[in-house]
Amino acid sequence: MNPILVYCRRDLIRWFRGKWGFLSSMVMPAAWLVFVGLALPIRFTDDYIDFVTPGILAMTTLSASLAGGGLLIMDRMLGFFNKFLALPPPRESILFGKILVITIRGIIQSTVILIFAFLLGARLYSPTQLLGTYFILFVFGALLSAAATTVAIYLDDHDQYAAVNAMISMPLFFTSSAMMPYDQMPDWLSPIAHLNPLSYAIDGIRILQTGVFPLTQIALLSVLCVAVNGLAVYAFRKVKI
Amino acid sequence: MAMKVDNDNKIDLKPRIVTHNLTKNYGKLCAVNQINLTVGNEIFGLVGPNGSGKTTTVKMLTTLLDPSSGTAEICGFDIKKNSRKVRESISYVPQDLAVDVRLTGRENVMMFAELYGVSTPAEKTDEALKVLDLFDRADEFTKVYSGGMRRRLELAQALVHNPDVLFLDEPTVGLDVAARKKIWEHIKVLRKKGMAVFVTTHYMDEADRYCDRVAIIDRGVIKAIDTPDNLKSAISQDIISVSITGLFNGIDVPGVRFAFHEDDDLIFYAEHGDSALPLVKDALTDAGIHVDAMSVRKPSLDDVFLHLVGNVEDSSPFNLSTFRNVTGRRG
Repeated sequence: MNPILVYCRRDLIRWFRGKWGFLSSMVMPAAWLVFVGLALPIRFTDDYIDFVTPGILAMTTLSASLAGGGLLIMDRMLGFFNKFLALPPPRESILFGKILVITIRGIIQSTVILIFAFLLGARLYSPTQLLGTYFILFVFGALLSAAATTVAIYLDDHDQYAAVNAMISMPLFFTSSAMMPYDQMPDWLSPIAHLNPLSYAIDGIRILQTGVFPLTQIALLSVLCVAVNGLAVYAFRKVKI
Repeated sequence: MAMKVDNDNKIDLKPRIVTHNLTKNYGKLCAVNQINLTVGNEIFGLVGPNGSGKTTTVKMLTTLLDPSSGTAEICGFDIKKNSRKVRESISYVPQDLAVDVRLTGRENVMMFAELYGVSTPAEKTDEALKVLDLFDRADEFTKVYSGGMRRRLELAQALVHNPDVLFLDEPTVGLDVAARKKIWEHIKVLRKKGMAVFVTTHYMDEADRYCDRVAIIDRGVIKAIDTPDNLKSAISQDIISVSITGLFNGIDVPGVRFAFHEDDDLIFYAEHGDSALPLVKDALTDAGIHVDAMSVRKPSLDDVFLHLVGNVEDSSPFNLSTFRNVTGRRG
């Protein structure tokens, strides 16, 4: 079996058996779906839950990625990292195993949230739309996991990472197009939202539902994904033993 | 090169580890200074106090750290140029006990079998678990394993691909007496199977009892390499310690050398301790010194160490990672 998959499976099993880690990243998006998606008095659309679901999916992926960013640092602190480094497989497989497992965790949690959204009355996605949505979530997840892992490597400390984590997650979400369309935003927010990578994923999923292929969004996400993964490899090679 | 050779387990003299002026500098600090070692199929102990460069040496030999200068070969492969081949030939068990507590014993070992790329991972996993006496409890989560069992599980992980060289960094730190004995017995079995075992420890008594040869390292420099017996007999046959009242200015007894003060005691090296004892007592009394107590004992590796490096307190900066196992603190 490919070493990346071996590393990935190890973390997946640990995550499932951990239970709380599995639940905790999903509570907030689920609460948002109910309390914002269903309860907020919105005027620009009658089906706000349809509108907000892509935003909540992006939020789920963000939350999963940030939660997973510290995995590599924990391995280093607990002594696993040195053991893995002395093994024959290429060392980058440790990093890619982490990015893959964080992405998969995000996909699994997004699936639960998506089913939850459908149960709450969101319009069902066609198979093509589903496929497109998952593709976007995968690229987006790989981008965010690599970014979170890179930040964690640079901070090199679990507490510091948790602090930065708490600091960036909310602003990142609110400066995206998750909650409202660009034309409803205040003038100062709209340009920021256009630059926020969260918006690319959210807009992409929304465009899919209009029956159009969101080429720009997917292209932007893919380029960012490759670039940030390159950055993660660069940071990883400098991890102190 | 003097080595212990038993009839039933011959030491293979073909070198598994050869180092050439292996050196590691951290800024101005020289952690490992021009080490030259040759290790064959034996249990080779690198002994020295905390912060003496043992772990740094192991990290270089296992390709985790690049040497500042010099190099080494493991099974003929250069650690810098051919690091992947080196990693395929070795196993490394670091000082920190790191087993996945949410995985079972079998899953922990199986993962390493797959990462080493062994052809029949499931069978090799069972084999390794049996060798380390963990087979009966292989399907329990390692959360319930004791410290000794966790260390044995790490040995099983290391054995699963049949390495030529096994690196163990402080394998018995933090374990109770029985668990330590068991670990060493397993290590001896591995040597008999043809594995070279490179082990670091700061427990001199363990190195004395179980290692075929030891290198004594202090502040990055190798002070001596030999069998424990040769090292001990090199300082003297016997050691006499005398506790006195009065001022000691030296005595002259044939076959007896004054070594050093140890707190209020005088330490002498003697060729024949038992017969030297009354002579030392008389000489001290003649010098006007009152003898409170005397004893003769065989030298230990501790004595060798003190002889080689002097009775100095560890003044190196406190290194938290060295103490993680002891205090149970992480990070």
